[in-house]
Amino acid sequence: MLADFHVHSTFSDGKLTIPAVVDLYGQRGFGAIAITDHVGESRTVIGKAAGHLGLCLTKATFPLYLEILKSEAERAWRLYRMVVIPGVELSKNSISNYRSAHIIALGIKKFMSADGDVADIARNIRNEGAVSIAAHPVDSGKFEKQTYHLWNRRFELAQAFDAWEVASGDRLFPEVLNSSLPKIASSDLHIARQMTSWKTLLDCERHPEAILDSIKKQKLNFRFYRDSKNDNIHSDIHSGYGSLVESGSYRSSFGDYRQPVA
Amino acid sequence: MGTIVSLWPETSFRQNTPNIFWEPISILKPLKGCDSGLEENLLAFLDLDYPSYELLFSVESFDDPAYLVAKKLIEKNPQVVAKLVVDPVNLGPNPKVNNMVKAYDQASNDLILISDSNVRVDKGYLKHLSRYMRNKRTGMVTSVISGIQAEGLGGKLEAIFLNSFYARWMKLLVRVGKPCVVGKSMLFRKSTAQRFGGINILARYLAEDYMAGEAIKKLGLQVVLASEPVPQIIGKLKFKDFWSRHIRWGRIRKSQAFLAFLIEPVLLSFNSCFFGAFFLGAIFDSNPVFIFLAQTMIWFLLDIPTLVKSGVKPSCGVFLVWALRESLAFPLWINIAFGNTVQWRGKQLKLEGGGLLVTA
Repeated sequence: MLADFHVHSTFSDGKLTIPAVVDLYGQRGFGAIAITDHVGESRTVIGKAAGHLGLCLTKATFPLYLEILKSEAERAWRLYRMVVIPGVELSKNSISNYRSAHIIALGIKKFMSADGDVADIARNIRNEGAVSIAAHPVDSGKFEKQTYHLWNRRFELAQAFDAWEVASGDRLFPEVLNSSLPKIASSDLHIARQMTSWKTLLDCERHPEAILDSIKKQKLNFRFYRDSKNDNIHSDIHSGYGSLVESGSYRSSFGDYRQPVA
Repeated sequence: MGTIVSLWPETSFRQNTPNIFWEPISILKPLKGCDSGLEENLLAFLDLDYPSYELLFSVESFDDPAYLVAKKLIEKNPQVVAKLVVDPVNLGPNPKVNNMVKAYDQASNDLILISDSNVRVDKGYLKHLSRYMRNKRTGMVTSVISGIQAEGLGGKLEAIFLNSFYARWMKLLVRVGKPCVVGKSMLFRKSTAQRFGGINILARYLAEDYMAGEAIKKLGLQVVLASEPVPQIIGKLKFKDFWSRHIRWGRIRKSQAFLAFLIEPVLLSFNSCFFGAFFLGAIFDSNPVFIFLAQTMIWFLLDIPTLVKSGVKPSCGVFLVWALRESLAFPLWINIAFGNTVQWRGKQLKLEGGGLLVTA
């Protein structure tokens, strides 16, 4: 099944509501997604400002977020047989890219703070029974805040995370690809047009626990997904809304990577 | 801008919608104490021109004076399906939500109207509101509140506030997509509310109405402002009642939307008149007092259409109360800025960021 574990909604800086995200992926036949809105630091000026501007989840909005995710997960399963996993992207933003880090927590049950050292945050995520992912740890190639802190501490933090993003959006990260770190590929979707991006392929039961277990055990592959509906480049050979590069004549300029199943 | 928006004609579909089917509505009436004109206010809801609706009154205890009023009205009006629920729960620090949760659970219709005890509506109120819900994209219908039957200095200040500043800003904010919801009149679907956890989840917030509006927006639905204002009986209020009520309101605003709160002083009429007088007086070498008075008069004239729409007849007395209210706005803002606690329904509550409540 095709999966995307890094998606944003209007609860932070995404442009689509959670129901719209569910329909976007469900109509395209995805098997699992994780909605991972930002949680900012509560003690820094940037974190506080993001909270006041509605660009990240706060303790106040989190209960509504979790409830809406719960009801939308039920709807997604009923309509599309798609699993929706609740997540957050704990965002430590600094003026310096080298002090900035984003950490994804998948399968959360309660509010998680972005305060403190990244090693403690990663440990805390695991203690809560959630999966920790190092988000876009190297240059994402986009005009946006870069987050290099985790990559600079990769040897120390190698075991702290269940996976490191090997691709974000349409960009594959050779540094991560060539490393021995556990990997995952996600879209970091904020708008519908970003559907054309790298995704993760799983071969497991459509159940949150089985899916998270597959990430932990690295039973996964990566694929570049081209979305014909939201893409400017016309792709007439594909039926439906989108397709994997493998099934069409299109080949990603970044290459098609298949990780050996453990 | 606010004046222009508030006067923008309501050329909507709903008033022309054929009256084919009126969906049944459950009206929740959380009661606490005897508001001014309570019996008449409740009586208006027992005589609505609507084919199918039920009334669910809720009080916190049998000792509440509102209990007997509601009980008497139910007994006198058996033609209306009405219940009195005395079964408060403690789901969070918001006493209003705690009071009406059980009534909400007992509501037999999908369409729910939460209506405060101090509003008095006309017979066509439900028909007017329910028409908006025929649009599938509408998640909630709320109304601008107009202040009527005000007595005492506090009451007059409250009424002028509702009928000018508040009406103007609410209409403007809803038009630009901010889901401003007033808890005194909220129509929504139970099935929609269940998608964000029902009203139970709102018990942790002071502004349960604002958060309900936010949740509706997060579901991709619209918060719609009804074209007709809902009259609130202000009754007799002392100056300190007005002051403490606005401290509470202001601290909610500060907690919910801190950045908007920070720019509020720039939007207050007297502040802008003061700075205008200072700068224009310096540029044109004119008397700043004259410029200040002229600007103040322009502000008042701009508020007149909004006042008239709320049923207020402009007069010298209205101008004086308006000017007093405007002059109090900045001192109120200063007071609001220093503090995070509020008094509500006899409880001292502390506000955290985002409107979360903790009992102080």
